Amino acid sequence: MTDIPVAPPPKSRLRLALESDVFYTFRRSPVAVISALVVLVLLVSAIFAPWIASTNPFDPASLNLMNGFTPPLEPNAFTGDSFLLGTDDQGRDVFSTILYGMRISLFVGVAAVAFAMVLGITLGLISGYVGGWVETIIMRVADVQLTFPSILVAMLIFGIAKGITPVEYRDQMAIWVLILAIGLSDWVQFARVVRGATLVEKNKEYVQAARLIGRKPGAIMLRHILPNVLSPVLVIATISLALAIIAEATLSFLGVGAPPTQPSLGTLIRIGQGFLFSGEWWILFFPACTLLALALSVNLLGDWLRDALNPRLR
Amino acid sequence: MSRMICAATAALGVALAAPAAAEEFKWAVTTDPQTMDPHAVNSTPVLGFLNNTYEGLVRRGKDMSVEPALATGWEPIGEGEGWRFTLREGVTFHDGSSFDAEDVLFSYQRASSPESDTASWFAPVSEVKVIDAYTVDFMTTAPNPLFPSSIANWMIMDSGWAEANNATRPDKEAGNHATLNANGTGAFKVTTREPGLRTVLEPFEGWWGEAEHNITRAELTPIQNPATALAALLSGDVDFINPVPIQDVARLASNPDVKVVQGIEARVIMLGFPHEAEALKFSSDIDGENPFADVRVRQAVAHAINVPAILQTIMRGNAEPVNQLVSAAMSGYSEALGAAPAYDPEKARALLAEAGYADGFSFGLKCPNNRYLNDEAVCQAVTGMLAQVGIDATLEAMPVNNYWPELRADNFDMYLLGWSPGTFDAEHPIRFLVATPNEEKKLGSWNFGGFSNARIDTLLPMIQSEIDPAERQAMLDEVAQIMADEQAYVPLYVQPLVWGTRANIELTQRPDNFFILRWVTVS
Repeated sequence: MTDIPVAPPPKSRLRLALESDVFYTFRRSPVAVISALVVLVLLVSAIFAPWIASTNPFDPASLNLMNGFTPPLEPNAFTGDSFLLGTDDQGRDVFSTILYGMRISLFVGVAAVAFAMVLGITLGLISGYVGGWVETIIMRVADVQLTFPSILVAMLIFGIAKGITPVEYRDQMAIWVLILAIGLSDWVQFARVVRGATLVEKNKEYVQAARLIGRKPGAIMLRHILPNVLSPVLVIATISLALAIIAEATLSFLGVGAPPTQPSLGTLIRIGQGFLFSGEWWILFFPACTLLALALSVNLLGDWLRDALNPRLR
Repeated sequence: MSRMICAATAALGVALAAPAAAEEFKWAVTTDPQTMDPHAVNSTPVLGFLNNTYEGLVRRGKDMSVEPALATGWEPIGEGEGWRFTLREGVTFHDGSSFDAEDVLFSYQRASSPESDTASWFAPVSEVKVIDAYTVDFMTTAPNPLFPSSIANWMIMDSGWAEANNATRPDKEAGNHATLNANGTGAFKVTTREPGLRTVLEPFEGWWGEAEHNITRAELTPIQNPATALAALLSGDVDFINPVPIQDVARLASNPDVKVVQGIEARVIMLGFPHEAEALKFSSDIDGENPFADVRVRQAVAHAINVPAILQTIMRGNAEPVNQLVSAAMSGYSEALGAAPAYDPEKARALLAEAGYADGFSFGLKCPNNRYLNDEAVCQAVTGMLAQVGIDATLEAMPVNNYWPELRADNFDMYLLGWSPGTFDAEHPIRFLVATPNEEKKLGSWNFGGFSNARIDTLLPMIQSEIDPAERQAMLDEVAQIMADEQAYVPLYVQPLVWGTRANIELTQRPDNFFILRWVTVS
């Protein structure tokens, strides 16, 4: 009997990750580290907003109109209340509203990208692997959609969805409609990248081998091709996240996104914009800074990820 | 070479300067006039704008007094059977056709037709008789001392033009030729009309009056966002904006390039209820009943709203509280009426509990977002205040173009409305907002909630025909008292007028918020 050579015990996933090239470049890039920290801080404060925020700005019963337009760190002339970042026209604490608003912005962003990703990957895999008229139809639809600005597509979808939802559910539905609208306007780039990568992968030997042993096309696509096309998808997803957050802010800024009773960062900026001339700068300034910090650091992280995952750029 | 460039630049400079020497005037408003049809929509943006192109038999002067326009004089017939108007001769419409009594009769038929939004102005009229080409008799069902001033916004349209263009009746919804074109006798004619984009006016050479203005071309641009309009004024892109965002008044007043023209508007902002509705339409927790039908719930709403806080923060001290549907500056204002319900959330909760809604309920609040000063912010504040006493409003704010149809279709559980009495008299809102809606009698056309009170319906014709001021006031006081007891509406405040102009513009502000172009001079 020959001894079967014993493989060394597999390293834990964490060890693997910590020793990987990607983590190495991460540690060496101060931009990436700082961006990741900013994202982490914002994410944690958004998730734990109900514990951090002093008031719940989404509860109209908690607002005191007399607190309206209180400047940051100054006591209100009538009520004597003081707020870290001041209050808006309705007496909402800007700090609390930013935290709660960020939850909406982040939730909509992440969910929209996830939705776009699932849709785009599925359609991309199918069109790349199946080819023929299926590919033609999917990719032409994608081409047509690319000729419209994505914000326009999102506004269109939002308008239609708003028209068909009953008014009493509109406020609750607004967030889901936003996700749908941004996700649907964003799937094309995922589909294109995945299709391109699938076209390359499907002629490789491992795919042919899988086919020879009779695996079903669905299994080949999911188990064999998908893992090999994921790294560009990851990069697009990160950059898309920043874009989705901005898209949500833009829609809300235009007044077609999150309802005024549940302000997201974009809604806050829209409200604040009306008070710039009159000197209540804090209503606009702080939400805008938060949006900037959030979008910029997610974007920088995406940039870094693209470089890290592409060996040719190293 | 450089000399040539200089010469060319100078020539170009002259070329550019030439049109600027002509007095062009640009202005921006929040709400575009929905239509050019003077009989289709009875609202200030429409009537105010059209006062520049169309004219009535009488018009209002700078101090709101009634003065001759297309009629040179008027006198009562007999013992108050009607009014005889003598028409102005030699007046032509913008298209050149001449004005006579037939146009007056036609405009009466058009403006009093069921398709018209102004029909209720003619509720007291029984018949219009053409005596000769320049004499018209308006017969009234009862003596009507205020009739001439009540038709100051009724504008005369050319019968031939309307027939030729298939616009003999106004069309509120679909629109017709008169929706996009205007052919009046006024000082300015509409040369370009692009709804929502721009409307261009030029002086009418053949106008019968003496021009006080020095404008050669005027352009109206609707800018929905007040901050954008303000930026346009500050940069000189427009010469006049209405309104100036209330929060920017203090800052603008210190800018030497612009002027703020302030006054109190005749407009009362109020909340309206669905009196007639069987059930709430936008409630997620109560079904098949209408809490607002109970006067205690309506009183609770009145007590829940902190009007002083709204005036202090959102209106920045620029508006006046009010206890009835007209401001104190109007004739017929009820001095006798007690103060408006005070802000008292405890009492509001007690009233709700008494009416059987101790746990509150949810409903839908409709609100315009480009019609009144800070309208959406006021509605948001109202939502918060009502939530504090336990009733949850779902706020839906929309532009007026969608808002009026929504109210006409009864799609509300509560709504925000502003009313400026066109006659400057307390009788006006009673006729429009309080009288039981009756298409035949042309009453209650803006009484969206269908409020109905038999006593008020009896009093209204008596008020209209009463000649003795003391008797009339006694009846107006009684109506005001019933309105307050019934809490038919919740009057909130009288809206301020805040106009902004460039420093080189002279104009006249009228308390009805009509912007009259023929009183504008550019220096």
